[in-house]
Amino acid sequence: MKKTRYLLILLGLFQAVNLSAQTRFVKDTLESNGDSVVVTATRTERKLSNLTVPVTIINAKTIQQNGSLRLTDILKEQTGINLTSGFGAGIQLQGLNPDYTIILINGEPLVGRTAGVLDLNRIALGNIKKIEIVKGPSSSLYGSEAMAGVINIITDASMGAPLTIGLRYGTYNTVDANLETKFQTKNFQYQGFINSYNTDGYSIRPNSNSRVRTPIERYSTTQQIKWNLSSKTNFVLNTRYTNEQIQNEIAVSNNGVTIYSIGKEAIQDLNVSATLNHRFSKKLKTSLRTYTTTYDAVQNLLTINGLPYRDVLNHNFKRIENQTDWDLSKNIQAVFGVGAVLEGVKSSRYDSEKLRKQNDIQYAFTQWEWKPSEQFTLIGGVRFDQNTQFASAYSPKLSMLYKLNSKHQFRFSVGQGFKAPDFRQLFLDFTNAAAGSYSVFGSAQAQQVIARLDVLGQIGNLFPNYYLLKALKPEYSNGLHLTWDWKINARSAVSLQLFRNDIKNLIESQQVGTYITGAQIYSYLNIGRAFTTGFELEGQHKLNANWSLGGGYQYLRTGDKDQIADIKSGTVYTKNSQGYSRLMKLNEYVGLPNTSKHKLQAKINYNSPKGYYLNVRAIYRSKWAVNNNNGNEVFDNGDVFASGYVAINSAAGKSFKNGISVQAGIDNISNYIDAANLPNLPGRTFYTSVKYQLQKNK
Amino acid sequence: MKKNLRKIAMGLGLCIALVACSKDEETIVVPVSAITVKDLAADTVTGLGADGRPQSAGTTTYYSLVDNKIVASSDAASTKWDIAFSSTKILVNCGTSGPGIGGAFVFKGLFDDLKTIPVDSSFATDNSNAASFAIPLGSGRAWYTYDGLTTLVSPIAGRVLVIRTATGKFAKIEILNYYKGGVTLPATASVSDKLFKQRYYTFRYAYQPNGAKTF
Repeated sequence: MKKTRYLLILLGLFQAVNLSAQTRFVKDTLESNGDSVVVTATRTERKLSNLTVPVTIINAKTIQQNGSLRLTDILKEQTGINLTSGFGAGIQLQGLNPDYTIILINGEPLVGRTAGVLDLNRIALGNIKKIEIVKGPSSSLYGSEAMAGVINIITDASMGAPLTIGLRYGTYNTVDANLETKFQTKNFQYQGFINSYNTDGYSIRPNSNSRVRTPIERYSTTQQIKWNLSSKTNFVLNTRYTNEQIQNEIAVSNNGVTIYSIGKEAIQDLNVSATLNHRFSKKLKTSLRTYTTTYDAVQNLLTINGLPYRDVLNHNFKRIENQTDWDLSKNIQAVFGVGAVLEGVKSSRYDSEKLRKQNDIQYAFTQWEWKPSEQFTLIGGVRFDQNTQFASAYSPKLSMLYKLNSKHQFRFSVGQGFKAPDFRQLFLDFTNAAAGSYSVFGSAQAQQVIARLDVLGQIGNLFPNYYLLKALKPEYSNGLHLTWDWKINARSAVSLQLFRNDIKNLIESQQVGTYITGAQIYSYLNIGRAFTTGFELEGQHKLNANWSLGGGYQYLRTGDKDQIADIKSGTVYTKNSQGYSRLMKLNEYVGLPNTSKHKLQAKINYNSPKGYYLNVRAIYRSKWAVNNNNGNEVFDNGDVFASGYVAINSAAGKSFKNGISVQAGIDNISNYIDAANLPNLPGRTFYTSVKYQLQKNK
Repeated sequence: MKKNLRKIAMGLGLCIALVACSKDEETIVVPVSAITVKDLAADTVTGLGADGRPQSAGTTTYYSLVDNKIVASSDAASTKWDIAFSSTKILVNCGTSGPGIGGAFVFKGLFDDLKTIPVDSSFATDNSNAASFAIPLGSGRAWYTYDGLTTLVSPIAGRVLVIRTATGKFAKIEILNYYKGGVTLPATASVSDKLFKQRYYTFRYAYQPNGAKTF
């Protein structure tokens, strides 16, 4: 399935697939090469089989055959990844929250997170060549946020069909239309893509006037120009623009008060990157990359009691970076990079909507790869980030690959990743009139703001946490990954990966006081220490030329180290069913909320030489803690859990030789619904699509 | 061994009412009984207002720990009551709340483990003018947490309200539940259940009539 890594290791296995009409029309370099090229893991092009860190590749064919429209659709079917809800759909990678995974498009980061979550529904999958997922801290190459992992979406720059048109219709009046066009001359390539996505949204909450997924109109376009200035120099320009119009009907509750609001939300997201690549010699090449992105979101609501609510977020990020790759000798390759970032945010949630909060970052990184033999590769890297708003960060990484023989190989990586305090944690100045008038103040100014309010007599109480407020430090994670790949035979392969992430300086929102009205006041402190650990087991088996099976399982344990220490020291209590308190035992502790112990997925895949395909994919996620109901602030057996569930998706289609392909699919066949905990999972939905690719004149 | 004693004590506590707790052998005072009060209504909800807030009459339920019974609100200005409840607000008979010499503080630990009120304890009093109460108001502060998503109130595990009564005797209270029938509603309960089954206190208390700070 998406774990193409293993399929691809099995050379020759894909010949049947390559013969299929599907890949004949969609030239997929991945599969025709047999061993795909990965850029995310090392920031240089490397063959998958030579990588020292675990990487998952999802290729265009998988995306298309699964009927995935948005990035979330495909990610939720990956081993070790769960979707999160709240502030859009984010992903949890190996038990770590969405804030800790950096999302890149062609190597450039997306911005515009709300409460740390980047809504992955923003990303259309129409013209994606592949998605690379690197697990484990990669901050040594990518800087802040690359703590749990990196997801790099690589758009299709291949020169295939000059024109592709696609149309899909599904449940809830969801219409998705694509237009893709390409042309090239000797030294010039152009590729354009337009996507329009409209949905009525849905409400799976009975008797609720607020829709779980709101009606959306979304347009996005990407344009790419590649211009070969000479045989050694080329210039690449990528642009991406997304425009979303969302209709909101929201119900927010605080202190028993539910407030209904209606209104509109408009989001615009623009990304422009320009890269100049030059190759001095076979051994030395350099690239100069500039990137600018703006995320602009405006939400205007009117609450039922007539209060207007306006929320504005404008985030811009500009970066210039140089990266030089130098092959010092046959065995040693080095990468050097330097860069600077100017980042600014304007938000109605800060003290002034008009004032831009600014952070400037300068960084340098280097990576050295040593390959003394075909069997052994060692990579070491380090990055240093310095900035104006908080403490500097230093992130080292070391990884190695050992190929024991043609059947077994081992990868080991250890590294430190970091996540800088974000703008919200520093500068938020937000009072939520739509939900009981609580306030959240960023740590950079919380003491100042609260002191001012105190003078005005508005502060009821100050909590001990208030006196602990100080300049935030970045969060750090030490990650350890050990992978064993075993190619059993030409038909089967398995892989086992052990992982552990230890995080310190976790930035958490804490109540620091109350207003005299009793409304809460929150700010942010570096207080937490946590871990996630477990293993992932994945396997592939080819039954015959047409049928294949694939599956993946993740076992995950998580915990807050301070809470564990408290439980051990006998200061954490729980209640029995009569309401009597008693000491909590360590074996009652369930770890971090929203993390599941088990996640399993399986897929059956059929591909015929005539272009027919069928797949059935099942996902199982075990229960996860969502609410604390005994006030001990620790998640234990007695708390509220979301039930484990199974979702089954299926798609089938056919590609014709004249360039037309059709597809039909059903998602969530068993119609599993949990409105409170899985708002992103609608009931059973159907879709059908048709696509036409203009044949290239040979 | 201490653990076992606690288990025994707890086990006995389960025997619904008026069972004497087993005590440490060295305890010299007469053991006091733990009493469980069930479903004490405290300004229960009458409906949902247009502003989305639960509506109620704004009443306060006064309670005598000495006599283990409700005191009429006409006696609010007397020392007949020791503690009073109005939604999540708990008052003691002192300061702006009443003429008594009461007071209170929140002890972090187990009900059965609190055998002697620590010598350095300080009892706070109610001052509604400064929004300051002996048993502080608000989620996560004294005895409960409120979850904005589920709109449920849960008593905090390991919190004991130590009370000085209207006449200066001592008592300890553990709030067991805030919902009718003594069972916290599931997160998925209906809005109507969440509205109308709340504000019914179930709590257990031990009252030491001899004025000592031991239980």
